[in-house]
Amino acid sequence: MAEKRKFARKYCKYCEAKVEYIDYKDAKILRHSLSERYKIMPRRLTGNCKRHQEMVELAIKRARATAVIPYIIDTQKVVAVPFEQLQQ
Amino acid sequence: MRHYELLVVVKPTLTVEELQAKLNYLKEILEKNGAVIAATLEMGTRKLAYQIDKFERGSYVVFYFTAPTPAIAEVERLIRITEEFIRFMTVKFENQKELRFWNKQVEKITKKSDAPAPAVVESKEIVEETVPTEA
Repeated sequence: MAEKRKFARKYCKYCEAKVEYIDYKDAKILRHSLSERYKIMPRRLTGNCKRHQEMVELAIKRARATAVIPYIIDTQKVVAVPFEQLQQ
Repeated sequence: MRHYELLVVVKPTLTVEELQAKLNYLKEILEKNGAVIAATLEMGTRKLAYQIDKFERGSYVVFYFTAPTPAIAEVERLIRITEEFIRFMTVKFENQKELRFWNKQVEKITKKSDAPAPAVVESKEIVEETVPTEA
């Protein structure tokens, strides 16, 4: 319990950048809140504030519906460079 | 009148003229239903994150417009009927922060379309603008 904190303090990166609205078409902003398998990362791991987490959730769900980011990553069909268009 | 953003994903198999014809058709629908189009952005053909109707790619087009509320249902109905549109997404912009974003987007697009010719100085401005939204 008394052990010292090992990690840097978490903070909301969206607050720092003063993001007012998260655009679902821009996969780059969303990438921070997505896991390797493109799942939505929980707030306790990313350090997002509640307000921004809610915006991110909505944006991610919209992005998935419009095929900007994938719903799941297919483990059966492995590609050399997956989602190259998202990295840029 | 409310502020909306409509994104459509069009089949990649169309030629340039066919695509333009489809977009004009969509614009006509919008305007017939009382919408005022503020800006259109063609994002070009992009790879889809997953297959849609066996297509690997799709061309993305975004419309920013203001329209009365009942228009949306009608426009969406017609988009559903049209086979060339494989996906669409309408987003309503309501509170002040969202509206500010809407205005910013419209401004950015109109600026881009206005000034492709005077190259160097203008492009720098645009780059600086995109930075805060992406960070």
